[in-house]
Amino acid sequence: MTVGRSDGRTAVVIGVLTLLAAVWPSGRLAAQDSQFGIRGLGTPGKWESVRARTTGGAFAPFDAFSPLTDAVLADVRRMSASMTSGTSWRSVDASGTQSSLKSTRFPALVIAGPVTRRIVVGGGFTTYLDRSFGVVIHDTITLRGVQQPITDEITSDGAISDLRIAVAARLHSRLALGVGLHRITGSTRVNAKRSFADTLNYRTSTARDEVAYGGTGGSASLLFDVTSDVRVAGWFRADSKLRADVGGHTVAENDLPLMYGAGVQWRAGAQATVAGNVTWRNWGAVQSIANSHDTFNWSLGAEIGAPASPFRFGLRGGQLPFGVGKTPTEVGFSGGLGRQFSGGRGRLDIGLERLQRSGTGLNERVWTFLLGLTVRP
Amino acid sequence: MTRQLACLFLLVAAACTENATAPGDCPNFCPTDSIAIRDTIFISVIERDSSFRGYVPSYAAEAMTAADLPGVVDSRPFFTTDTMIRRVAPKVGDTTTVPISVDSSRVRFVIVRRPKNTTNLRLRLYQLPVAADSTATFASLDPAFTATPVDSLNVNELLGLPAIGDTQTVRLWGDSIRVDAAGHVLQINRLDSTIAVYFNLDTLQAPLSDADTGRIAWGVRVAADSFASVTLGTRESGGNAPLMRWFFHYTIPDTVSATPDSVVHADRAVATRFDNFVFNPPTPPLDSNLAVGGVPSARALLRVAMPASLHDSVDVVRATLILVPVNAVQGAPSDSFKVEAHPALTDLGAKSPTGTTAAGSTFIHIGSADTVKIELTNLVRSWSLDTTATTAFILGQVPEAASYTEIRFYSSRAPAFRPGLRVTYVKRFRFGEP
Repeated sequence: MTVGRSDGRTAVVIGVLTLLAAVWPSGRLAAQDSQFGIRGLGTPGKWESVRARTTGGAFAPFDAFSPLTDAVLADVRRMSASMTSGTSWRSVDASGTQSSLKSTRFPALVIAGPVTRRIVVGGGFTTYLDRSFGVVIHDTITLRGVQQPITDEITSDGAISDLRIAVAARLHSRLALGVGLHRITGSTRVNAKRSFADTLNYRTSTARDEVAYGGTGGSASLLFDVTSDVRVAGWFRADSKLRADVGGHTVAENDLPLMYGAGVQWRAGAQATVAGNVTWRNWGAVQSIANSHDTFNWSLGAEIGAPASPFRFGLRGGQLPFGVGKTPTEVGFSGGLGRQFSGGRGRLDIGLERLQRSGTGLNERVWTFLLGLTVRP
Repeated sequence: MTRQLACLFLLVAAACTENATAPGDCPNFCPTDSIAIRDTIFISVIERDSSFRGYVPSYAAEAMTAADLPGVVDSRPFFTTDTMIRRVAPKVGDTTTVPISVDSSRVRFVIVRRPKNTTNLRLRLYQLPVAADSTATFASLDPAFTATPVDSLNVNELLGLPAIGDTQTVRLWGDSIRVDAAGHVLQINRLDSTIAVYFNLDTLQAPLSDADTGRIAWGVRVAADSFASVTLGTRESGGNAPLMRWFFHYTIPDTVSATPDSVVHADRAVATRFDNFVFNPPTPPLDSNLAVGGVPSARALLRVAMPASLHDSVDVVRATLILVPVNAVQGAPSDSFKVEAHPALTDLGAKSPTGTTAAGSTFIHIGSADTVKIELTNLVRSWSLDTTATTAFILGQVPEAASYTEIRFYSSRAPAFRPGLRVTYVKRFRFGEP
């Protein structure tokens, strides 16, 4: 009897299927929570692999395993898969009230492989909007003529995910074009609980439900090599309205923003690469939300060292779409390492990111430990 | 490398604990909707309410009340005993019997409730006709109850005496006792604080009547400086029933005994055959109001027309039944009683079966005409969730038919004072909206 030895490709398929079963369709696909997203549609996810994220997001348009653009998939020469996970420790200062929060997420998953020499097909998940949060409110209300201390706890666990299938084609040795179709889907388990200090007379009220979200979108992107060392990227994305259903009944429909951006990458020798990009999103067009803002985000980063074990760092800045008063801002820095193994068939990326978000009445500081695994069977 | 990978994944797995809840800074950083609460008195949801009498007769009650409240009530409990033997077999297995000679007897009553602040509380023992049964009335027994009492004891005086707790006493009585000069005994039950009192009677006070086959009947009246009212245990209350014990002796003839002509002393407790109480004035007949209590016991059936708004999109957090008494219940303060609301499992009118667990209860205080409120939160919550449930409940006194006390509430036929239901509820949270 001959016992077949599973090859690397089989292992990757099994690994990816296991990963999908583990994370889909649960809310763990969410990216990173923020209190700024509670009063809006959520907190926009970061469509970046660990490699891109440790460069402040600057490498995202040029990294095939960052689901930001589609054209860059044209660089994938072999069937590959990449997964990103992040554990965040978040301290929140809301008008002087401090709290510490923690969460672990799997914000991005990309699988891609060439169909022909010039055409690559890819897909995966990423977080479109994170909607995991919980607030506890202590208050005293007058009930039946008596002052009654109460505690409200409103929680939401889940996210709106972006399921993408994309095609990239190298039209010319210097030009690649990509288009993607997006299915925006996801759900949140929501819970609203009111408990009373007077437990003898008042029962705790608990309402639970599941909100299902849906929408569609399309994206297009372009990658152009100006020289052998300089590459520029441009991208555009439009989405339909985001529909929210409870029990099969549509309870809300909200506009989603247009997104466009551009980036540049410079290969400064064999062991150094520098990149930067800018992104605009017109979140202000979400009519149903009073305090929504258009956002502009930028990032700048570098990757230094041998391709097999590079060191990366980066800076990012920009705005968040939801917040009372002035537009909330976000600045951060990050760094990390990459390491290839198994003769380049696998790569492990780790990173650390520090973010600071500021808005009217709220400040957040976030440390995130990032871990990414890329496999090329 | 594999080991390093494993370590990293273990690290990530260990970090997979969530804490996403923070103090809310509202309204800026809280969900748009909030948990809204409403408090509404539904004044017309209780309908088709009525009372029915005859559920529990006084002789089947788990207690019986002795009271002497001038102008209010005169309540007199009594009991009859089973037959008493006249001969005993001196030797086990021997068919020969010998006659017994009664020396004395002891009558026990267990006081399960008494007024704590009443002074000079006395119990008077009367011998009644042995034919007293469920047909006996206050009037028919009145001659016996107005005759000279057989004996009398003072509960307060006995309570004031030092407890006798020597080993011999505890061996015989099971616990310490208090004994007065006349030989009356009082014993306090450590578990439930009930009081057992014993009348010691000689053969003149309690003769063994051959004509009555040894059966005897005793009645009790109560007296005190004020608020003379106690409740005594009955056969239905288990070990608190009235008890009669005969003490006798007999002689063992020399032909059958190894110890000729020896005298043997023995005692025998006879079972209580019947117990009951009679009172005057009797419970008035039912009228258009909702009667709860009295003898035989009355219950009130109240049907609730649940508003559709309480079925949909709300979560009931408190529901209170509001009842307006027609009058304050008269009596001794210690006669305050409990009223329970039991859900009707199905609506069959007076014979509606009820759930064993009370949905709510309250105490009716003697002399108070205040509005009565009974919490029915769990019951109304269940009705809110289950539209097929029978939305009716039955009010009853606890224990039933143990006392002359009865309360009457205005029914839905009295528009100004009809029963109401006060419901506090949380409106459905609007999930899905930003």
